[in-house]
Amino acid sequence: MSLLLILIPLLTALFLLIARPAGARTIALVASLANLAVTAFASMGFVGDGSFNHEFSIPWVAEAGINFRLGMDGISLLMIVLTNLLAPLIIFSSFNRQMEPEGRYYGLVVLMLAALNGVFLALDGLVFYIFYELALIPIYFICAIWGGQDRIRTTLKFFIYTFIGSLFMLVALLYVYLQTPGTHSFAWEELVRVQLDTNAAWWVLLGFFLAFAVKMPVFPFHTWQPDTYTTAPTGGTMLLSGIMLKMGVYGVIRWMIPLAPEAIHCLMPTFMVLAVIGIIYGSIIAIKQNDFKRLIAYSSIAHVGLIAAGVMAWNKAGVQGGLIQMLNHGINVVGLFFAADMIERRMGTRSLSEMGGIAKSAPKFAALFMIVVLGSVAVPLTNGFPGEFLLLNGVWNYNFWLGAVAGLTIIFGAVYMLRAYGLTMFGEANEQTARFEDVKTNEWIVLGVIAALVLILGFFPGMVLNLTDGSVNRILGAVQF
Amino acid sequence: MTALLLLFTTAIVGLFAGLTQNRSLLQPIALVGSLLALAATFFDPLGWNDRYTSMMQFDIFALSFSGVVILATVLIIGLSGWGFRNLNDTLGDNYGLILFSLCGALCMFSFTNMVMLFLGIEILSIPLYVLAGSRRDNLSGNEAALKYFLMGSFATGILLFGMALVYGSCASFDLAVINEAVSGKAGGTGMLHVGILLIIVGLSFKVSAVPFHFWAPDVYQGSPNLVTTYMATVVKTAGFAAFYRLFSLAFPAAADFWNVPVTVVAALTMTVANFTAIFQTDFKRMMAYSSISHAGYLLLAILAIGTAGSERALLFYTLTYSLATICAFGGYMVIAEKNDDSSFAAFNGLSKKQPFLAAVMAIAMLTLAGIPPTAGFFGKYFLFTAAFAKAPWLIVLAVINSAISIYYYFKVIIAMYFSREENAYEASLPAGVRWVVLAGMLLIALLTIWPGSVHAWM
Repeated sequence: MSLLLILIPLLTALFLLIARPAGARTIALVASLANLAVTAFASMGFVGDGSFNHEFSIPWVAEAGINFRLGMDGISLLMIVLTNLLAPLIIFSSFNRQMEPEGRYYGLVVLMLAALNGVFLALDGLVFYIFYELALIPIYFICAIWGGQDRIRTTLKFFIYTFIGSLFMLVALLYVYLQTPGTHSFAWEELVRVQLDTNAAWWVLLGFFLAFAVKMPVFPFHTWQPDTYTTAPTGGTMLLSGIMLKMGVYGVIRWMIPLAPEAIHCLMPTFMVLAVIGIIYGSIIAIKQNDFKRLIAYSSIAHVGLIAAGVMAWNKAGVQGGLIQMLNHGINVVGLFFAADMIERRMGTRSLSEMGGIAKSAPKFAALFMIVVLGSVAVPLTNGFPGEFLLLNGVWNYNFWLGAVAGLTIIFGAVYMLRAYGLTMFGEANEQTARFEDVKTNEWIVLGVIAALVLILGFFPGMVLNLTDGSVNRILGAVQF
Repeated sequence: MTALLLLFTTAIVGLFAGLTQNRSLLQPIALVGSLLALAATFFDPLGWNDRYTSMMQFDIFALSFSGVVILATVLIIGLSGWGFRNLNDTLGDNYGLILFSLCGALCMFSFTNMVMLFLGIEILSIPLYVLAGSRRDNLSGNEAALKYFLMGSFATGILLFGMALVYGSCASFDLAVINEAVSGKAGGTGMLHVGILLIIVGLSFKVSAVPFHFWAPDVYQGSPNLVTTYMATVVKTAGFAAFYRLFSLAFPAAADFWNVPVTVVAALTMTVANFTAIFQTDFKRMMAYSSISHAGYLLLAILAIGTAGSERALLFYTLTYSLATICAFGGYMVIAEKNDDSSFAAFNGLSKKQPFLAAVMAIAMLTLAGIPPTAGFFGKYFLFTAAFAKAPWLIVLAVINSAISIYYYFKVIIAMYFSREENAYEASLPAGVRWVVLAGMLLIALLTIWPGSVHAWM
């Protein structure tokens, strides 16, 4: 089952890239829907006690203790759900634009899907690392081939930046691996069992943090992000913001803290402060933005800062909140970027100052967009609320003052999101916005699904929380410091 | 031993066949001979590998590395249909010289005596001096040959001097006897240490490690493309395997002493080469510096002598590096020679015109940069793990350098895939080159999916 989640998209990607068949978009969509079906099937018989379900393992380099081992507990399953739920939406939403050559674009998107599933399923350190890096190659090509202005420089910066970060993780991983007994092993349990002295753990923790902090991104490692999000084609931006940055948060929960808990007391206060700075910094810059895509990019820094802070507080509320918020942020941010792309396609600009009055000419769009915005602002009964509540609770338990500062995100979030909504939807209509065409059928499907998810997950957050409960208890219990 | 004899015979046959008027036979002869030799590194029905053990021994180390260089040569001969297309009178000589040089490489893997090592290096080098200058009417080719010859003989002199000092200290050329003498000295004498140091310098010249690398970019650039490919793959592999064999068999007891200079040379090599490569605009010069920087990573294997798995790491790395380099040069050769442009701009817009060739070049570049999940990553991974305990900070430096290297390897990818400029260059692939790069890609894919194959081999 786990293997299938990787194999379906991988083989599809190879087929699309090598054979370059006609109708690539349909093939990609079918493959991603097949993956969604597999995900649904996998979650039906799921045992949520924190053990690994659907485990699959074959030796890869047996002599060096490297096994191709996959499996999912509640945390992985949640990420798998996020990935495979968003993938069809992202692929379907790309139908609105001509991506030439088509086989290459959809092949790369599906390859990305394989890599992301691999990251969330890997239970072997090296396999995790390889998928983590593999995810970088297709997104680099997507952004650099179909990106906008200045794409080559921006994407190369993005690539080198994240690659350096992950190389530090490789060194940290290698160090822990070499401390395992016997002929060494990369198995997750073995790596967790290693006892490091505080000094070594300090370096290991730092190595992992650099990799994940660049990916998320946490302040001050975020400089690649707004440029890349703005330059990338919308499909690429959705992949980056909706799913890929969750790789970093997931890495913190699964690998960083369990592998080097010995140094948490030395480094965690710094990490927490950085994450909280990111919240405030991202929010303030988002308020000042005029470019709609850039605004969402900075808001993403703020949201992810809160998720990172909650997770690194390492208590039940924080981790649970982080997990549910990853799912919800993924859904919301894909919705926001989709709406931004719709506006850009119709008006040819992303500048907020040139918009206004769209609500009059496109009421359906305005309503659906409103739901997504409300979810993003974390209004109660939308999906953003339970996550942010739990996250703030977690940070608060860690440190009162940090919690209080992080809490400003609720106010800031409302300010920049509602400002953007107001500037686009209300006010005087100009010549272009008066002719603004309302949602077409295929746009309706994407935005409708997203809006429905916003509401359903807002009404029933328990579904998600129950899924991860056992695994979070187990991982919190396993890591003593 | 069988492989060596087969190669030698093929070289002589090739040489004489070159005298006849029928030149179309030459490539098949060289190809068949080297394929037989490749098979002989796996099968030894006559038991010849165990003979002549006093001077050379074809143990598993020698056989595996022979396999790597013979495989590389087979691929290079496959490219020669294109690479040697303008040679007429000297075609037989060229095949002969390549195969003679290969014989030298095999001696460098199997020696158990320093004299044999020296002979191997000379047998490898002398044909290459001629090959580097094989385009007699080409000025830069002549310059390359002369530079290579002068630098090479200079290095040989230093190496010989070092060997003499080691002989003076240990009273033997035999590696086992030297090893005993060195371990008996517990710390060693000054003469031994100076000898080892000079050997390191001499070998560093041969493998083009910084600060003894200055000849490499000019020689690489000036030589015919096919000869450059041979230098970057076979010669490099041979140099490092010999380096490894000598130091692991003769001087492991003095490791505390020679670790220091080797560490310094490794750190300098990767850093200087990478930073210089960034500024290159010519593909071939970039590849020259890239090859120097790989020498820096490969030196980690020398540092890791004594660690389990270091031989395998060296084997895997040289194999993947050779395959990727041959594929890259194969593609470059066609494009540069057809259009007379050796800069990165020659690749502009290639992905639209020749998707297959562009994909090959892209995978070769990703492999050289060591990006997961390519086999190049596993090469770096095995090397770094082996040397981690010896010098953790050097691994961190190596890691940073691998990230820097992305910048120049990706110039090619950027030109092929992202550049909106398209030039009207002719880019169709001759059949020979197509088959070679396809074989190279399949082997890289095999090593990617099954990196453990190296354990099965050695």
